[in-house]
Amino acid sequence: MQPRATARLLLIGDRLVNIERRSTDNPGRPPAPPTLLVWDWGVRVFHWALLAAVLLASGTGFLAPANWLNAHLIGGTAIVALLGFRLVWGWNGSTYARFASFALRAPRIVMHLREIASGRGAGEPGHNPVGAVMVYVLLALLGLISLTGLVVLGGVVKQGPLAGLTSYAVGRQWRGAHEALAIGLLVLIVGHLAGVVFESLRTGENLALAMLTGRKHVRAVPGVVPHRAHPGRAALLCAAIGLVALLGSVRLAALPGLGVPVLAPEPLYARECGSCHLAYPPSLASAASWTTVMAGLTDHFGENAELDAASAAQLRSWLVAHASETADTRVANLMRVADPASPQRITTTPGWRRVHGDVPESLFRAPKVGAKGACAACHEDAATARFDPQAIAVPKETNP
Amino acid sequence: MKPALLAAVVLAGTLGTLPSHAGPTQTAVLETYAAQAKVAEPGFAGFSVERGKALFLGRFTTGKPDTPSCTTCHTTDPRKEGQTRAGKVIGPMALSAKPDRYGVLAEAEKWFARNCDSVLGRACTPREKGDFISFMVSQ
Repeated sequence: MQPRATARLLLIGDRLVNIERRSTDNPGRPPAPPTLLVWDWGVRVFHWALLAAVLLASGTGFLAPANWLNAHLIGGTAIVALLGFRLVWGWNGSTYARFASFALRAPRIVMHLREIASGRGAGEPGHNPVGAVMVYVLLALLGLISLTGLVVLGGVVKQGPLAGLTSYAVGRQWRGAHEALAIGLLVLIVGHLAGVVFESLRTGENLALAMLTGRKHVRAVPGVVPHRAHPGRAALLCAAIGLVALLGSVRLAALPGLGVPVLAPEPLYARECGSCHLAYPPSLASAASWTTVMAGLTDHFGENAELDAASAAQLRSWLVAHASETADTRVANLMRVADPASPQRITTTPGWRRVHGDVPESLFRAPKVGAKGACAACHEDAATARFDPQAIAVPKETNP
Repeated sequence: MKPALLAAVVLAGTLGTLPSHAGPTQTAVLETYAAQAKVAEPGFAGFSVERGKALFLGRFTTGKPDTPSCTTCHTTDPRKEGQTRAGKVIGPMALSAKPDRYGVLAEAEKWFARNCDSVLGRACTPREKGDFISFMVSQ
């Protein structure tokens, strides 16, 4: 029995090409071995490394506690590096790695959809026209997620290249975009997988396997100009772009964080206040709160903490001069609004309660913690007013 | 007899037979409180380690409700570390465990002013301060 040959029109560039349908419906013979190397190593390594990086970044972003931030940043940095490589490879890779081989062209997309609707059509060597749309949207989305993440990191956490340029308010705004885009990415990944399964069933070509081996059961399409990969040129370009990006990031990251207080030590404060509790960085409370605290030292959270008048005056002006209004860190913004019922207390501010909502009460009473006000029990950098997510280490033995 | 000399004699009489880790600075602080106690209480006959211990371990209802006793923060063993209600570790109170205690009068006065008010709801008398330190230097 002769395999059925079906004429098929394909618009390649501006030319209509008649390509022959490959033989798939011959039950008597084993399937022919893959013939054409479609995905070069660059595309394959990019694809699977990107998957790993996206799994790491989204897994830590959606599920992990805050002190896993470094893992999230490793995932995000890897995504940015991979996107950079893919851009270079899109002009320097082999035939089907090149953007020119899967340029977005509305007529081709429409034709492809018509073929699907009418049950005609076979697999293509490179990305099919609809798959190409998905590729570009995914790449753009990953770029946007990385960019918004960088703004959030700079504004909210005061880390990374944008820390010196981004306010907390801007970081907060972009955080919403970062999260929405990340959810959008998950939806698109489901769409991507559905497309791969659908196209694999439709064409009989295991596309996931093809992304591993690089080979497909297709013939080169006449009219597509074959290109050799230029790994040397690509490596040079990547190294140059990477170096510029790295040096620029390091230079920017060295800027002092916008609104991160840098205080000269105040020995009187460390001695008088720090002997009973953490010498709370002044940016943890508003000027009004500090004024209230310093006016009521004889009944200071249930104890007498009176000071001589000169010391009290000195500390009051120092605290007010460096209160939360003068800083733009996350904690300064969170603790700036006090609870009207207890305006002196940091640990009843709505902001404090929000970020400690998942901490069980028993943990605060554990011997190694002792009280809600013992910030340094879990925040290793509490004395610096930074409160970096990476510096959170909840003590292990928490049972009384 | 000069008050300081009297105090020294009184101190020698009360503490001389008891174990004490007091150095010259602690002795000077105790002498100051002895002189004040002599003025405040005409019948003052020296400090007592036992009264100091009772003061340290006692429970009071006259102070602030969160701190009914010295032991609330300092634990009942003066040689052990304590913990403030805000979670900060407090060095041991016993002089043998923390040799820099009770050697500076201003420092002692500051903490007695704060903590006597918190626990007792009033200032401590010179005799109570001396009793307290006498107990702690014996530990």
